[in-house]
Amino acid sequence: MEKFSLCGDLCLCALCVKKMNHPLCNATEHALSRRQWLGGMGGAAAAGALGGLISPASGEVLKKKEKQVLFIWLDGGMSQLESWDPKPNTQFGGPFRSIPTNLPGVHVSELMPRMAKKMDKICLVRGICTKDNSHSRGVGRIQRGDPKNRGVIYPYIGSAIAKLMGPTASGLPPYVWVKPGSGGFKPTDAGFLGPKYGALAFGDGQPPPNFIRPKSLSVEQDAARNELRRALNLNYAKPRRKANTEANSFVFDSADALLARSDIFDTTKYPRKEKERYGEHLLGEHMLIGRKLLEAGCRFVKVNSYGWDTHGDNFNGSTSLVGRFDQALAAVLEDLEATGRLDHTLVIAMSEFGRTPRINGHAGRDHWPEAWSIAMTGCGLNRGVVLGETNAKGTFVKGDAWDIGHLFHTWFHALGINSHDIEFDNGGQPLPIAHDDMGVIPGAIA
Amino acid sequence: MIIGLCLGALQVGAGEALHLRVDKLIAAKAGKQPLAGTASDAEFLRRVYLDFTGRIPTAKVARKYFSDKSKTKSAKLIDQLFAGPLWAETMAERFHVMLMERRGEDEEWRKWLANSFAKNKPWDVMVREMVAPDFLNEAKRGAGFFLTKRLEKYGQNPTDYPGLTRDVGRMFMGVDLQCAQCHRHLTVKDYKQVDFQGLYSALSNVRLQRTNETIRVAWASEGLLKRKMEFGSVFSETKKATGPRVPFGEEIAIPVFEKGKEWVVKADRKKKITGVPAFSPLREIALRIVMPDNPFFARNIANRAWFLMMGRGLVEPLDLAHSKNPPSHPELLNLLAQELVAHKLDLKWLFHELALTQTYQRNSVLPKGGDAPRHLFVAAKERPIAAEALLLSMLLATGEKERVAKLEEEDEHSLKNFEDLFQSTFANAPREPELAVNATLKAALFLRNNESLLWLVKPREGNLVDRLAKLKEPEKIADEVFMNVLSRTPSASERAMVKSYLKKQSNRDRALGDLVWALLSSTEFYVNH
Repeated sequence: MEKFSLCGDLCLCALCVKKMNHPLCNATEHALSRRQWLGGMGGAAAAGALGGLISPASGEVLKKKEKQVLFIWLDGGMSQLESWDPKPNTQFGGPFRSIPTNLPGVHVSELMPRMAKKMDKICLVRGICTKDNSHSRGVGRIQRGDPKNRGVIYPYIGSAIAKLMGPTASGLPPYVWVKPGSGGFKPTDAGFLGPKYGALAFGDGQPPPNFIRPKSLSVEQDAARNELRRALNLNYAKPRRKANTEANSFVFDSADALLARSDIFDTTKYPRKEKERYGEHLLGEHMLIGRKLLEAGCRFVKVNSYGWDTHGDNFNGSTSLVGRFDQALAAVLEDLEATGRLDHTLVIAMSEFGRTPRINGHAGRDHWPEAWSIAMTGCGLNRGVVLGETNAKGTFVKGDAWDIGHLFHTWFHALGINSHDIEFDNGGQPLPIAHDDMGVIPGAIA
Repeated sequence: MIIGLCLGALQVGAGEALHLRVDKLIAAKAGKQPLAGTASDAEFLRRVYLDFTGRIPTAKVARKYFSDKSKTKSAKLIDQLFAGPLWAETMAERFHVMLMERRGEDEEWRKWLANSFAKNKPWDVMVREMVAPDFLNEAKRGAGFFLTKRLEKYGQNPTDYPGLTRDVGRMFMGVDLQCAQCHRHLTVKDYKQVDFQGLYSALSNVRLQRTNETIRVAWASEGLLKRKMEFGSVFSETKKATGPRVPFGEEIAIPVFEKGKEWVVKADRKKKITGVPAFSPLREIALRIVMPDNPFFARNIANRAWFLMMGRGLVEPLDLAHSKNPPSHPELLNLLAQELVAHKLDLKWLFHELALTQTYQRNSVLPKGGDAPRHLFVAAKERPIAAEALLLSMLLATGEKERVAKLEEEDEHSLKNFEDLFQSTFANAPREPELAVNATLKAALFLRNNESLLWLVKPREGNLVDRLAKLKEPEKIADEVFMNVLSRTPSASERAMVKSYLKKQSNRDRALGDLVWALLSSTEFYVNH
């Protein structure tokens, strides 16, 4: 990495405080250009795997349990009072009871019977206090970790991980997004990192355009023509700089890797029992697809659920929404644990904010960033802990409160990324990867 | 003979052609690093065709060129392409991609670009027409698209005046002042907040106007600039102010007019008359940007021309010229800029000289001594092929260009549909410069599975696969397919590969289609090398 010629004498900012040894950057232009290439997928890979070339090391990489992320985004704002932080029989408590969990002394809403039996697997943060109470800004702000304003658009967490960690040895795109609605290559999540770190979205759980092999093309024919393409490429590649050919091979092989897992997108073939366990609703189905994408080797999988903005009829709404979430989350945790994946998979479930304790005239709850909860687990986080608390009425955080910046530091550290030392390099401008005045939440990391 | 040589050796310096002086400076900097040899006929031919006609050569052109034994054929070919009808169109295409960064298309703009290059309009005139457009002049108003497109709102964002300011700096002076908007630039000492704000004061005074009866394009008007732009750094309390000012230049005084004289045409809302102020900051800025005393102007375009030809700027990034980021070859950039000014900003002359350099004509195969840092230019760099050129090349290679051009726009395989497909697959997102070869998963999936793309490699009367099917010997097939797609003859091992592939496949038509597909999907085809 090039040295920054930072201000030095005119140091006005925290930008200059940091050291410049960037363990993720590579000095040679070769590596940089390969990184560019590998990353250049519009939805996106960074450096890491070498397509087409099985180097002796890559077997080892495969065996090594690579760290991955499952990011569950409940768009609109889940009510903490109807889920992780119930306050029954209080002014704002609402109609639902709370139930004991397998963690002594910890109760959750009765809408979460399955997760109640799994609280020993969760790192629950009840002392969340963030700043933005509008969706249009909150959604982006929270997923960007709300860093200090430096005049640039920060990447969403998925793009940041794609940049910082790259694809796994699977060669699959590092940032994928299972969501209702439209799919395709979504470059804007990447902010200043550039479109190559954007998301590959599986809209309605379906693969991107041109994913399906045309009927007229058999598997054998496809393999044969690709074999020919590879062989012919070698003649050109041999006496030249490697970067472009490697990158070209990488994206073709990445397409292969994805195509080889087209089974993931055919949910009609999923075992009935498995589907029932995750729940026969969109969130359940998408969570199941998400789990398969993790197993296939995607670095960061975002599973998106919409419709959580319960300004009206919050209690009926929450009954169905939280119920589905409870089922899908419990199922995916069970599977990740059973396969040992939870130890190297960071799981995060959250919204852009919580909901108001005050119940409005439409039996709804409005936006409330002041005091809400986020559940997370896996990948070196402490399990069976509850961090922070809200006051008796659930209106504000009592004691230590944590902002999204603290959570970003915590997640990065859980993934082995020292967020105090590592910075993004935005064309020479060093930018902290998480809010520079915040740090890891005490007690979160084992 | 000997006398001639001596004379040649004495001619170092002013009298010598620019391309020779360029090569000397490149060789001097490379020092002991071995340089790659001259590109093969095939590589050179493909490169100049892509650069100056926006497409690969046809097999016919290639065969004719390879059979020409004249020693001056490369220079002759360059002359011929520079005089040809496609030169201006191709330059227009390449400048469109560079200047607009995929923000969108506009017919008048493309016409203006093509006409400007066809007439070999000097670069300073072109820049003045873009920065201070004359929307009443039909021949020139297309240039205004540079401004008007950037004044359009996108999404829910307000008009991006800071972005426009940034782009005027980037495109015409090679300086990205974005980070100096709110305070002095934190990593570039030369860029002060006033450099941004001075340009911003002129550009934020511009308003986008709708088409009307006289001006049938989106256009822009200027407001009455009475006061200096006030600004302050977010790091301090001090307030400053500046009038319009070209970065690093002198402030332009805002004239004071007698009452009533400040407008040439007075605005009248009721009559829907847009005012024309007597003082046009845009015109003043445009005039001063291109003045010889603004060294950034000629150096920027010299650097960008170099980048377009060599795949890497002498200053990198292209838009970060400042004293702590010197060019890789300072003397060379000085020379290019000076000579360009001496030649009245004649871009055709500059591109022609650059095309004649050994540096441009080098092989992309690495020299025997191995690779050296990229900025030494020891071998030709692989460069991206823009979506439009890639499409034209694929249509030519597969022998489908004429058929596709004749189809109605609604037809699934019409040129328009192919253009849309290729742009959405291979072009970058809006506002994202296309600087390097970019392999994407999207493109790989497109090449592998897109039905329209695969349609090109199905046998159809007169197309490449059809012609291949009529050949008997596999060697002839190999020769024909390589010449049409890769513009070269295959090596012995490649011929053998083709032969064994065809032998293994039972369905001959399919196998031939796949053979064409494999070459179209290769790195060799995908890059300009």
